Amino acid sequence: MRLLSLIAVIPLLFLFATGEVGAHAFLDHAEPRVGNKVAAPPREVTLWFTQKLEPAFSSITVTNAAGERVDTGKARVSGTQMSVSLRPAGSGTYHVNWRVLSVDTHTTNGNFTFQVGQ
Amino acid sequence: MDFGAADNGAMIATRAIHFAATAIVTGTLVFPAVVANPALKSQEAAAKLFRMQTRYVAWISLAATVISGLAWVLLLTMSLSDESLGEAITSGALRDVLSLTQFGSVSQVRLALAILLAFCLAFERSAFWRWLGLGAAVGLTASIAWTGHAASTPHTLGYVHLTADVLHLCAAAAWIGGVVSLVLLLAAIAKIPASPGATLVYDAARRFSTLGMLSVAFLVLSGIVNAWILVGSVRGLFVTEYGQLLILKLVIFALMLAFAAVNRFWLTPRLALRSGKTEQPEALRQLARNGTIEIALGLAIFAVVGVLGTQHPAIHLVQ
Repeated sequence: MRLLSLIAVIPLLFLFATGEVGAHAFLDHAEPRVGNKVAAPPREVTLWFTQKLEPAFSSITVTNAAGERVDTGKARVSGTQMSVSLRPAGSGTYHVNWRVLSVDTHTTNGNFTFQVGQ
Repeated sequence: MDFGAADNGAMIATRAIHFAATAIVTGTLVFPAVVANPALKSQEAAAKLFRMQTRYVAWISLAATVISGLAWVLLLTMSLSDESLGEAITSGALRDVLSLTQFGSVSQVRLALAILLAFCLAFERSAFWRWLGLGAAVGLTASIAWTGHAASTPHTLGYVHLTADVLHLCAAAAWIGGVVSLVLLLAAIAKIPASPGATLVYDAARRFSTLGMLSVAFLVLSGIVNAWILVGSVRGLFVTEYGQLLILKLVIFALMLAFAAVNRFWLTPRLALRSGKTEQPEALRQLARNGTIEIALGLAIFAVVGVLGTQHPAIHLVQ
């Protein structure tokens, strides 16, 4: 009977399965820094994460104040670091959207802004 | 920041089944090499029955390992591509996951190890194939480390984390798979009336307790390293979901240890008493019962581990 009770615990543990599946690569810091103001348009945006990333499933898009894409496309990934080059796009608020897959197979996405000029 | 969604329940169940099946197939190969073969040297009938039963369990576990491993790859592909099963296979997403991610590469290596292990099980009458099979099984278990949190820990700490994870996985497999084998051995001996049951089990239980104590030592040490990397503080243990699940895992582990201690320090010495005493059959029965409970607790731990791998490590949530 006691054995049956113990075995009955196992399906209960699977009930934890209804919880949120997490993701693991957190944004550690960025250059230009999150929310900061820089004098001239940067040539690239670089993000550092808390865990190693999968290049094929990690990306960054950067848009300017007018909502136009200013990144040149494919992000470069090396270990925990991801960069994308930018086209010159004047001053204003830049929006950075990122989506990454950490090597332990969990996706994370997020966004932040930084200011150029003014 | 928000987080990507996945089919949580199916993924967690798949992972738990995969971990349990891999541990059992590995443990059933470690046990004969370290415990059963030396203990059963002069007991041909019991040895034959035991080998047949463990081979049966090993084949079933290996099949479960391969099926759950493939399911894991497919579920991950569906989650990453946000596609149905058929679309994920035909759209190229599965190919991308297999060829462009570390998880995909490790999964291919692990499938090759599983195929090698199947050959070894089929030709296990030769010592070469038996030892090669043991190596493939250990590799199959150890390589799980490259699919989880340890694989994405950066810098030098990543090597420490991977080493601790490899030791943790192998020690868990030796213990849980070993207990499965011990219960099978008890069942084999019970079916052969002429065998010197208690004496034989006494020898096997003493050998297994050495393997068990080594496994527990490695589990504790590597577990401390993993907790230091993934939890980092006592607060993280109590205030995060990850930490609370780890506490649950530790409570189940403590229960398993208690049963193992009863087996080693109470029941095993009773097997050494003069034959004919009523204590012996009772001790054999209790050993089998405790072993079965240990297996159930071990499976519960694998269920918790299935969840833990999908959670945010506490260290990322607590400053």
